[in-house]
Amino acid sequence: MYSEKLLSVLVAVPGVVVLMLSLSWLFGLALAERTISRVTKAVYALLIVTAVLLVLSLWRGHVDSVTMFAGHWFTVGDYGFDVVLLADRLSVPFALLTVVLAGIVGAFSVRYLHRDPGFFRFFLLLHLFTLGSLLVFLAGSLDLLVAGWELVGITSVLLVGFFQYRRDPVKNALRVFTTYRVADLCILIAIFVAHHSFGAASWAAMFSGTWPEAENLMHGPAATVLAVLLVLAASGKSSQGPFYGWLPRAMEGPTPSSAVFYGAISVHAGAYLLLRAEPLIRSSMVATVVLVTIGLGTAFLGTLVHRTCADAKTSVAYASQTQLGLIFAEIGFGWTTMALVHITGHAVLRTLQFLRTPSMLRDYHRLHAASGGNLDPTGSHYESILPARVQHWLYRFALGRGFYDSVVDRFVAAPVLRVAKLLGVFEPAAAAVPELKAEDEKRASVTVEII
Amino acid sequence: MNELFLPYLTAGVVTPLVVALMVPGQSEGRRRVTALMAAGFSALCFAVAGGTSGGVAVVDPLIPWLTSGPLTVLPLVFYALMTVAVLLMAPKRDADGSFLAGVLILLGGTSLANAAANLGVMTVGWWLTLVPFLAGMFGSRAGLGRAVWFQLVAGVLLTVGVVLLKVTGVDGGLREGGGVAFGLLAMATVLRKGVFPLHAGTMQLFERGPLLPAGLLFNGHLGALMVARLELEGLTEAGRMVMDVAGLVALAGALLAAVRAFAERKPRRLLALIAVSQASFILAGLATRNMAGVTGALVHWMVVSAASMGMACVLRAVEVRVADALAPAGPLGLAVRAPRLAVFFLVCGLALIGLPGTLGYCAEDLLFHGALESHPLLGVALPLATALNAVHIMRLFGVLFLGVLPKDVPNVPDVLVRERWALSAFVVFLVACGIVPRLLLATAVPAAETMHAEPTHHDAGPTHHGGSEK
Repeated sequence: MYSEKLLSVLVAVPGVVVLMLSLSWLFGLALAERTISRVTKAVYALLIVTAVLLVLSLWRGHVDSVTMFAGHWFTVGDYGFDVVLLADRLSVPFALLTVVLAGIVGAFSVRYLHRDPGFFRFFLLLHLFTLGSLLVFLAGSLDLLVAGWELVGITSVLLVGFFQYRRDPVKNALRVFTTYRVADLCILIAIFVAHHSFGAASWAAMFSGTWPEAENLMHGPAATVLAVLLVLAASGKSSQGPFYGWLPRAMEGPTPSSAVFYGAISVHAGAYLLLRAEPLIRSSMVATVVLVTIGLGTAFLGTLVHRTCADAKTSVAYASQTQLGLIFAEIGFGWTTMALVHITGHAVLRTLQFLRTPSMLRDYHRLHAASGGNLDPTGSHYESILPARVQHWLYRFALGRGFYDSVVDRFVAAPVLRVAKLLGVFEPAAAAVPELKAEDEKRASVTVEII
Repeated sequence: MNELFLPYLTAGVVTPLVVALMVPGQSEGRRRVTALMAAGFSALCFAVAGGTSGGVAVVDPLIPWLTSGPLTVLPLVFYALMTVAVLLMAPKRDADGSFLAGVLILLGGTSLANAAANLGVMTVGWWLTLVPFLAGMFGSRAGLGRAVWFQLVAGVLLTVGVVLLKVTGVDGGLREGGGVAFGLLAMATVLRKGVFPLHAGTMQLFERGPLLPAGLLFNGHLGALMVARLELEGLTEAGRMVMDVAGLVALAGALLAAVRAFAERKPRRLLALIAVSQASFILAGLATRNMAGVTGALVHWMVVSAASMGMACVLRAVEVRVADALAPAGPLGLAVRAPRLAVFFLVCGLALIGLPGTLGYCAEDLLFHGALESHPLLGVALPLATALNAVHIMRLFGVLFLGVLPKDVPNVPDVLVRERWALSAFVVFLVACGIVPRLLLATAVPAAETMHAEPTHHDAGPTHHGGSEK
């Protein structure tokens, strides 16, 4: 009972804060930076204490998992959307990681964004992101996970486009959003496959036992389809495989948001989903092969491109992608505990790295001086083993970032745009009206952009 | 059928029509207030009628052709409130006497169609909603040729279909009606709603017509209302088949409209395509004939109305501030100058495509389950269309509010006080009902049950595969 209360507090607190901040905005109340800062610090302190108490209560009670039924969100006939929260050995570390790292980033951002016009907006989105992440990690079903998943997605996009008065962040935010939506489609269809073929999408109905000893209860071709869809959805969130291109574009956002989203929490949400669905993936050879291929392929590409990046944040983003690829492969191989440890270490390290990127040159010079000027360049050893022609080819390939954007533009965006234009046959040109003619001419001259 | 104690429905329908005759003669300062009071009074009457009916169908004591039941009580109240919001939002340059009168006639016509006890009265209401556009009450009709023709053809098809049903029907009911009559009604619905590929009229109305009245006409959802009424009264086999086809057309149309929108850049046209695509979900949901799908469609009806109307209101507010908004050559970057307008627009847009925490999420969750149960493969079109529409919402938001602020954009004001009230109402409705969907489902579920209660044609029982099975 005590654990259940802690669980509900963990999810409710950021939700209440988001609601309060939104209402204060709606009523035209201009909150001072100091107030927002204090509220943020207090909220994260409370969340961290709650998460720690939850860990202690599970540990002291020798309980593997706690499930909390918070009620029906909505019910129609025999169909009901239940709000079920789950705390177990997988979700609790992720929840703890979320509140600690988001708290650190929140504290850091108070100074980093001091006097920025978007100060309030940033913290509102940070709290919304925390709510979304906690919903993802503590959800007892795929249905509820998707609710958090989408909140994380939209906050991520709004923060990529945080500096909305510049052209590139806006363009990149739209690109990231498009990728997210395509990947989210996979998880939506996965939910329907789960409901349609297996009658439920709750973890309890999909797997028996508690993580990591959970056993898969779904079998057959539908289970394979479900597993592959979940792998693709996770790939979208973690910028892997076919969705490889968005993470570097997301670096347009403010550094603290890059840290918490693309170093710490958001990108690991995909890995969380895979860990949760690992018994299902393990039972399908196709899904396992897809997962390992995506992971290793992205790791190779990521490490290659990372070495040719000229700016610090993009370089860290590709490095992050590389590690995520390895984590995906570890999950594919069934090394779940190792993957969990890898995720934790990676999240903490990347948060630090992202937060320090504005000072990277200074840090490097300090380190260089501390080592007596003998700091060796790293990472060139393995390349030097390769033949010169291969080195050149790889260098060009890495400089072009795997030509991912060109491929997507040419083979995905362009055909869609062509079809969209073809569908214009159902809108025959209107009869010429003198006063509207000039407007039509202006419209015809506007270059159509798909994204 | 029970009778209301007082003629609330008559009062609700007639008041805006009577006030519409008075408003053009009033002074500039008074006419908006008068129109607001008339629409507000109308909403109050419908709410009282719904509240006193106790969840069952009731008939008006003065005009017995007017009824209020579980299906119509919510659209009646909601549409009147939406009209109040539009009257508040209408920019000064638009809100002359003729405009306000036109909006009130739209309210009267739509309310009449909603409260109609039979298809004949509904047809009268349907035609009444077209009067302000045909009479040019919203300004010049230049360039609106196709839009007007589409609406006229829809009206004629409806009238012929209803007459055919009456002629061929037994006891004035629908059970013996032939496929031709239902085919005509389905065509009228598709034309009225602007389901792809018959969307050119709606597009033109949005693009070249008066945006707010166009939004009101579109969001009356009389096409969906007619399908719901037909389902409510029970369909013949032929009728069911025709409506199934209409549902499939809507399903495919939703996706195609979303794809088509990639080639659009003009805000009004983009908004029209998004609205057309999302509104097609309503027809698709009604055609599923299962509880989740039908309830989802009824909830989505409210979501599309509130969200697309909210977006149209913001777009019009932007247009009167920045002339370039009609056909911007690049992003307008207005979020810097008008952040509140930007947020209202974004929340409405995200609610439309089902962001968790808004009513759209509940509606689309139910719709998807319903659609996938009825057509497991075709049902995928709905989430796919939603995904694409989400991209278009962000594109539209980007064009209007993000990017570098052009140097020639003047120092535009952010949302005005009266605009803030109206837009806050849209947002609060979408978010509050999203967090506590039971507020709306309390009305939508009984309505869906009523539509579902036809025993002879009841082959799809309530879904048994939801988020949890109890």
